Amino acid sequence: MKKIYKFIMLALLAITVFATSGFTTSIKADQKDVTYDRIMKRGYIVLGTSPDYAPYEFQTTSNNKSKDVGMDISVAKDIADDLGVKLKIKNMDFDSLLVALQTGKVDMVLSGMNPSAARRKSVDFSDVYYKGGQSILINKKDAGIYKNKDSFKHKKIAAQTGSIQYNLAKKQIDGAKVSGIQKGADLILALQTNKVEGVVMEKPTAEAYAANNSGIKVIQGGFTLNDDETSTAVAMPKNSPVLRKKINTTISKIKAKNLLPQYLKEAGTYLKGNTVNTSMIHYWKYFAMGVGYTILISILGVIFGFITGTLLALLRLSDNKVLRGLSAAYVEFVRGTPLMVQLMFVYFGLGLFVNLPALTAGIIAVSLNSGAYVAEVIRGGINSVDDGQREAAESLGLNKRDRMRFVIMPQALKNIWPALGNEFISLIKESSIVSIIGVTDLIYQLKIVQSDTYRGVAPIVVAMILYFVMTFSLSRLLKFYERKFNNG
Amino acid sequence: MAKEIIKIENLTKKYGKNTILKDISAEVKDGDIISVIGPSGAGKSTFLRCLTLLEKPTAGVVSLEGEDLTKKTQKEIEHVREKVGMVFQNFNLFPNMTVLKNITLAPIRVKGLSEAKANQQALSLLDQVGLSDKAEAYPDNLSGGQRQRVAIARALAMKPDVMLFDEPTSALDPEMVGEVLDVMRQLAKSGMTMVVVTHEMGFAQSVSNQIWFMENAGIQEKSTPEEFFSNPKTDRAKEFLSKILVK
Ligand SMILES: Nc1ncnc2c1ncn2[C@@H]1O[C@H](COP(=O)(O)OP(=O)(O)OP(=O)(O)O)[C@@H](O)[C@H]1O
Ligand SMILES: [Mg+2]
Repeated sequence: MKKIYKFIMLALLAITVFATSGFTTSIKADQKDVTYDRIMKRGYIVLGTSPDYAPYEFQTTSNNKSKDVGMDISVAKDIADDLGVKLKIKNMDFDSLLVALQTGKVDMVLSGMNPSAARRKSVDFSDVYYKGGQSILINKKDAGIYKNKDSFKHKKIAAQTGSIQYNLAKKQIDGAKVSGIQKGADLILALQTNKVEGVVMEKPTAEAYAANNSGIKVIQGGFTLNDDETSTAVAMPKNSPVLRKKINTTISKIKAKNLLPQYLKEAGTYLKGNTVNTSMIHYWKYFAMGVGYTILISILGVIFGFITGTLLALLRLSDNKVLRGLSAAYVEFVRGTPLMVQLMFVYFGLGLFVNLPALTAGIIAVSLNSGAYVAEVIRGGINSVDDGQREAAESLGLNKRDRMRFVIMPQALKNIWPALGNEFISLIKESSIVSIIGVTDLIYQLKIVQSDTYRGVAPIVVAMILYFVMTFSLSRLLKFYERKFNNG
Repeated sequence: MAKEIIKIENLTKKYGKNTILKDISAEVKDGDIISVIGPSGAGKSTFLRCLTLLEKPTAGVVSLEGEDLTKKTQKEIEHVREKVGMVFQNFNLFPNMTVLKNITLAPIRVKGLSEAKANQQALSLLDQVGLSDKAEAYPDNLSGGQRQRVAIARALAMKPDVMLFDEPTSALDPEMVGEVLDVMRQLAKSGMTMVVVTHEMGFAQSVSNQIWFMENAGIQEKSTPEEFFSNPKTDRAKEFLSKILVK
């Protein structure tokens, strides 16, 4: 038993090593521009962006449909037009963008991204198309205290996780406590609720926020900056010489015609449009869609999780040592790693071999994860059935399958019904993690509404209530059936 | 001479280092009613379970109607079990099925009987054990005595050649013992071959044609009831009987 276990662990390790090594060689080996060829062949280019950084990129609603707008989106459109292909936009967390590039989920990234030396190691960058500065946002009431970065020594300050601003704050403000926060709206919220004294942000973004929130103000950052840290460029997969050349041509054109001020101004008009009606009712469609996806993922997750779990439990109880070991190893492994990592593995890792849409990847990850937990619940249920039942069934000549099907499983299911119900409920809550790969579930919509309305707390409250309504009605429903089960 | 149903040769069963059954040889012939008696922990249940290979013997041979069961695969043993009915101390009825389903499940799944045929047969068996009105009841709603009678009907539905009982009345309230013993008496009269582990000395004395006294991992004595109860051969049996009679 122990041996088999070791063997499986080794095999898993080998697979991981193989997968990652395959991945580096695939990058080195290409001398031609596969990205460019792929784009031209498909007839569209996929832009990856994190639309929570007005006026670079953010979402706006018109005719009850949300779409990405902003300066970067306008630039991306020009690039697509010049290539003669359509533009497709994939939204995801800023942190996921580079991985998405490397795994071919997206063809280019415009997301207010600075071409830092560290990033250049993993992806290629175009020429710089925009140079902003780094500013700091503060609460207006503190205007007397904070003048520039040097006022923040030993103070609390925040910046977007994984961003240049984050590193600047860490390196150039002595003793400052720097918090990394994912979303622009959350950064503003942290400032407004006095969690931090300041937020480091690119100048145009900071100005957009200040224009839409009366309580906050932009001050000069005063950071010592090199080109990398003030400039914004297009990221694309390594070894994309042709694509890079074409994009640079577009950028020169934009610069020659001086189009960027115009794009920024356009973005500003959307911002105004966004802030006209920030009541939560106005955004009900976002929330409704989020609830729909959350329910869809949870239901499919619970169905496939149940099937996977049953199979795993049966394998675990089989006479075959290898199958037993495999099942045990799977359950241990999945329960011993965070769902978030599994999700990224399915989306980006498996994405190297098959191109899974985010929603499918989310459902697969959630099902595989839930399967491990359900397997343990079912195994517990099967073990809880009195051994006399098995003996009686066996003494009647029933074969193993029939014993399971007619005698053991029905009794096991009755015993574990409440535990399965709980699993379903926790699935609704845990499925929220799929938002990091851009599945438009409730959490994702919550963040969109936050950055759309520049309101931090209200969307959180709405999402919380919606989650509670879902889990509470489900638990009532389960109780009802549990009672019926026990009486019938 | 009556046909041989079960033959046990040098049967040994160990759990780890503990020897529970040691070198037992015995025979059950067609029509035999054998009562297995002995003190608690003597290995009676283990012995009975070895007869249908619910426990795998450590050594020795158990044959059913001339076929060595210890040489058979798991699948083949499943077929053998059709011929051996087993009744447990704790009934072990399936609580998720009605009485009728409890009885018809194996005939339908194992013997391939049609549902109609199986139902018809089950109803006549229920009639035989005096429970025709309980076909649609669930086991949880029956008394202990009723449950054990259903369990007997369930085993009989497979038309076994021999019935094994492991203390069928030990878990019952005293007032229900009679109804179960009555069913067993009837069954004995009908000519069924039976091996009954029991503490009911009255039943052992009046119904069986052989008493096997088990103690200390073996069958210490095989006698007729008259012999055993009036003049036991071994000291251990004497001791056992004196304890029972004091009770
Ligand atoms: N699965 C097992 N593993 C280890 N030891 C066991 C197992 N089953 C039974 N035994 C031991 O075997 C011995 C005989 O048990 P068995 O149940 O056959 O006795 P019995 O004669 O039926 O007793 P009782 O009258 O109490 O039912 C006991 O000491 C018991 O502890
Ligand atoms: Mg016993």
